[in-house]
Amino acid sequence: MSQRDLVAELRAAHVEAPPEVRERVRLVAAGAPAPPRRVTWQRALVVVVPAAAAIAATIVFTRPAKQQQQTVLEANKPVRIQPSAGAATDRAAKAFAVPSPTNRVQKYEATLSLRVEHARDVSDGVKRALRIATSFGGYASSVHAETHGSRAVADLTLRIPRTRIQEAMAKLAQLGTITDENVSTVDQTALLNNTDRKIARLQKQLATLRAEPKSDGNDRRIAALVKRIETLQRGEATTRRNAHYATVHLHLETPPVTVAQKHGHGPLHGVGVALTWLGIGAVYALAIGVPVAVLLGLVWLCIRVVRRRRENALLQI
Amino acid sequence: MTFQQAAEAHLDDVYGYLAWFTSDRFAAEDLTAVTFERALRLWHRFDPDRGSVRTWLCQVARTVALDHFRSERRRARREELAATPEAIDFRFAEGLSPDLESALARLTAGEREVVALRVLLDLDAGAAARILGISPTNCTTRLNRALKKLEEALHVAA
Repeated sequence: MSQRDLVAELRAAHVEAPPEVRERVRLVAAGAPAPPRRVTWQRALVVVVPAAAAIAATIVFTRPAKQQQQTVLEANKPVRIQPSAGAATDRAAKAFAVPSPTNRVQKYEATLSLRVEHARDVSDGVKRALRIATSFGGYASSVHAETHGSRAVADLTLRIPRTRIQEAMAKLAQLGTITDENVSTVDQTALLNNTDRKIARLQKQLATLRAEPKSDGNDRRIAALVKRIETLQRGEATTRRNAHYATVHLHLETPPVTVAQKHGHGPLHGVGVALTWLGIGAVYALAIGVPVAVLLGLVWLCIRVVRRRRENALLQI
Repeated sequence: MTFQQAAEAHLDDVYGYLAWFTSDRFAAEDLTAVTFERALRLWHRFDPDRGSVRTWLCQVARTVALDHFRSERRRARREELAATPEAIDFRFAEGLSPDLESALARLTAGEREVVALRVLLDLDAGAAARILGISPTNCTTRLNRALKKLEEALHVAA
């Protein structure tokens, strides 16, 4: 029998399903096929639950950061002290609550930087600062003010009695919004005590020399000692006088004018930025995606080969 | 085409394919019913643009048959009967000569499968290859080998 006859005979064969199988299949087919529910609630859950978890996690992890940021911003925000508010005055007074005991000799220096809204406020602030200084028995040792359009700056050096410095600082702080403050004190009592002891010793030496018989050399030593004692006494007097007054460096300025920066961006700048980021994303996607795709392809090929071999082995019966 | 129409039109094809594939009438009857049950569940996935109903039903039938072969192999191993398969009096089709029936029985399941698809169901090489998951060339090669084996067996019998 030739292969053609063989195929012809095989094709002539007719295979018919037995009646009982036909009946079973009819019963199966009679059952209406269930409508395809492509998006079942289980499938929806698989997507919705992780998405909700991701959103919740994002909210949870980002909220403290925002609060912290706000706190930092508030901390950096200048304290605005209202001129008529008593609480604000207390706050300003507390801000400079560096005790300055009257029984000690101290060098007291303070720097206060204030921001005011307008250029005319700088001018008013200078006048009020001078009034404050004089009202406490002090004076201005230097005043410098300049205005350029809406921008104005003033620098004052005030000498205010140390005993009333805290009240004065509280009043000065009300002139604007504090942007910077600095207080430094140096105790000079020990230095003066040393000078006193030195003067006493020199005076003792002077008395001894004066008790000795007069001579040219003795007179010269007496004159030198007197001169030295006088220098020390003048220095001591200067120190005490300086310590009587505290020095306040007051800086008043208007906020810097913010000029809108022109980048020269055209109407298609946004498109360019978007394309740049798309390009960056594409490079990352390629760098990560290509090896992953190759790996997945190899795994798929391996699985297919193994499956094919198993199938062939299964069908060798 | 509804599923009922598809089942009615291609029941004999599926049964014939499974009967030749398994060379077991009882198994083929059960597997035919299982095939249509599974096909009913998967009917919404059928896409006419990707192939005919007959091809799709044969793909489902093949999956069912392979599951059957796997379970049979496990059962045979478990019962240690793999070396002595039970002889079943089975006729592949009405009108075949006893020599051809005997020669068909000597083919492996894989060879009977390709003969059933290409000759009995008269599928073209592309459709048969799609069902078998191989290339059309490979499918034709398999068919030629199976037919040659059949031819040799008939010569021996003659």
